[in-house]
Amino acid sequence: MLNVNRKQKNRNKIPFLEVRSVSFSYDEKNTRRTLNSVSFFIDKGERVAILGHNGSGKSTLAKILGGLIEPDEGSCVVEGVSMNEIEFRALRKKIGMVFQDPENQIVAAMVEDDIAFAPENQGLPSNEIQSRVDRAIVEANLLHKKDSPVSALSGGEKQRLALAGALAADVECLILDEPTAMLDPKGRLRIEKVLRALHGEGMTILQITHQIETENFDDFDRVIVLSKGEIIWQGSTLEFWDRAEELGFELPDEFKIKKFFEDKKIKFPDALANFDFNFTAAHDGKKIQKHESKFKIKNLSFKYDEKNFALKNLDAEIFSGQWLSIIGRTGSGKSTLVQHLNALYKIQSGEIFFDGQTLPQKGEEVHTLRQRVGLVFQHPEDQLFSPTVKEELAFAPKNAGFKNSKLEDAILYGLECVGLEKKFLDRNPLALSGGERRLVAIASVLATRPECVVLDEPLAGLDASYQKKILAMLARLRDEGETVITITHDLDTALKFSDKILILRDGGTVREGNPGDVIEEIMNVLEPEAWPDVLRASAEIRKINKNFPFIYDYQEFIKCFSQI
Amino acid sequence: MFLSNINLGQYVPTGSIIHKLDPRAKLFSLLFIISAVFPAKNFFQLTFWAIALAAVVYASKISWGVLLRSARPIFFLVAFTFGFNLLSAYFTGDVSTSLFRAVFTSLRLVVLMLFAIMLPLTTAPLELADGLNTLLRPLERFGFPANECAMMIGMALRFIPLLMQETDKIIRAQLSRGARLDQGNLFRRVMAFFPVLIPLFIIIFRRADEIATAMEARGYDGGAGRTRRKPLVWKFNDTAAVIISVLAAGSYFVF
Repeated sequence: MLNVNRKQKNRNKIPFLEVRSVSFSYDEKNTRRTLNSVSFFIDKGERVAILGHNGSGKSTLAKILGGLIEPDEGSCVVEGVSMNEIEFRALRKKIGMVFQDPENQIVAAMVEDDIAFAPENQGLPSNEIQSRVDRAIVEANLLHKKDSPVSALSGGEKQRLALAGALAADVECLILDEPTAMLDPKGRLRIEKVLRALHGEGMTILQITHQIETENFDDFDRVIVLSKGEIIWQGSTLEFWDRAEELGFELPDEFKIKKFFEDKKIKFPDALANFDFNFTAAHDGKKIQKHESKFKIKNLSFKYDEKNFALKNLDAEIFSGQWLSIIGRTGSGKSTLVQHLNALYKIQSGEIFFDGQTLPQKGEEVHTLRQRVGLVFQHPEDQLFSPTVKEELAFAPKNAGFKNSKLEDAILYGLECVGLEKKFLDRNPLALSGGERRLVAIASVLATRPECVVLDEPLAGLDASYQKKILAMLARLRDEGETVITITHDLDTALKFSDKILILRDGGTVREGNPGDVIEEIMNVLEPEAWPDVLRASAEIRKINKNFPFIYDYQEFIKCFSQI
Repeated sequence: MFLSNINLGQYVPTGSIIHKLDPRAKLFSLLFIISAVFPAKNFFQLTFWAIALAAVVYASKISWGVLLRSARPIFFLVAFTFGFNLLSAYFTGDVSTSLFRAVFTSLRLVVLMLFAIMLPLTTAPLELADGLNTLLRPLERFGFPANECAMMIGMALRFIPLLMQETDKIIRAQLSRGARLDQGNLFRRVMAFFPVLIPLFIIIFRRADEIATAMEARGYDGGAGRTRRKPLVWKFNDTAAVIISVLAAGSYFVF
């Protein structure tokens, strides 16, 4: 707060957007405030990050700033004029918004038609609409998709389309609510590139996010930290990095590496060309134990339609009691593969052996299989349907024929696995936070004590604290002898946590092996944007100094420079 | 795949002459055609319309495969009609007449539905909304929300494939948790679908809410005063299409 006061004293210009003690509550009685007396300002041309964990009220704040909901108390002031005195259309020309899920923002079937939506709503003549579209499509770097149907765009392109749709309104300020949360690293990077260019041209940008990422850690002028509906800190980005950890945010490795070399006054990577590194044995691989084969997959092929193979002659072996990470680009067949493991997809050609037996494909045996092989889909919290957590957890065990005390045990076991307390049993899953809902959904699969659990992107969209919880839980299950299989975009966790990595490309296996042994194949299959920061840095050094190994762990990376 | 390759009435851009017709012309033509196919009584008339349909499909450059796949959910309705007619044959005892009627009614329904589905296949949702809007506008006098209604239909069409994907994913997830969606008597089967329907409704409402917010953020406030990048322009082809449809519908009373 001190910070603000000092700054405001020195100010004589009117900020672009000013928030004056805004409070908001979703319930009528105003008992639980989503936002509590929030005040800050943004100057014209600034790029500001509003940081907050899930449930901090940041999305609500975004909607209030965009004039889409009215605060209960306080007000927003745009260039000196209170927002509720600004006419709807005039406001919509000042502030544009981009939300998390691109699908929910696209209204038309064709790219140009969609971008035209905002200028059309402004009632502009058609030639002017077209020139707005032409400009926005270039700004959002989508010109090559000008005549495409929206359905032919990738996730990242769809989000850039949403961005173009906001820009076409000719706005002065963009408010983005977690614009990259649903995108892969490449998609994220491209969005950031567009935002950087827009900011360079003077656009005021307010970006709401739960974590400052590698791709934008030095792009913000200021950071505002929101926690439980209140602003707990604000200041410049540089100041933020000094305080980040105590405020509950992690530093991206890339930032740490940059700082490490700055502190040591080493010019990265040029100064390292002739450096003689002192290695302790880098990534020696996890200790190898004898494990039995859980799944043996031979020559598996699968097609959704006549033309394209989703899986093609795939061979793989998954060992019991190990944690396997499946990685590969979007469309490489990861999800199709795991849905074979519990017979959601029937084998079209090839063979799968489960504990040495042919994988059942129909009848009651399939039900038994699904109890033994638990599958947790992406965003499993979207599949909850029961009025209480208890009933949700009872669903799978009941389907598996559990009764009475066995059923009770199953429910408690599921709850215990994910580390939720008993008091959660009577609560409504829909009333829980996103992270808690995710845990309940995972618990509902674990309740039947599957011997193998498969999770598709289990960490997607979660705060660091919940990510850690889930990773620890999976490690524990593995240690207890369960087979754990995860699909992930997040190479960093795959390399650090799993025992084995399976790399897929175009529906086939590229390589299967220990994390330490498959790094070069990973680098071949996935684009550099997807590599962990540390790996990217070591690849950079290796380009000029062949002695340097591929390293993905920050601590190990630092060790290499211990003698400096 | 359970559901996600069903794409009921999804726009297929091919840039054909049919695609370029004014949505109003397509709506009018469809109206005439449907009101003529409905009362068709004999196989001669039905053949006439089947040929007309083939001509339209050919001109639209949409492949039969895509058309039939898109219309697949409708075939349940056709099968139902067929079965129902057969059943009535069983009760009335007049097998040959009823069999004829079953076959004829089903075929007529197929032709009718395929004509109807050609509209969204060849017209982008927003364009269709525009066309509907002009047609519904006279009703505004009686307080009918023409703008909103047209946009609603357009948006619904836009989101069908997405909701199909969601449904598919939920079904898979519940099957993974051991749900028995295809066992037991009718009552149990219906009950078994609650774990699918409840999450689906939650998702639909959430999406609807987010879409509405996103549309508002882009300045949509009910569509009054909205202009278009490509305003609807009635061209020669549009008049021709309507006249051809009227003639086809009319000629048919001659036989």
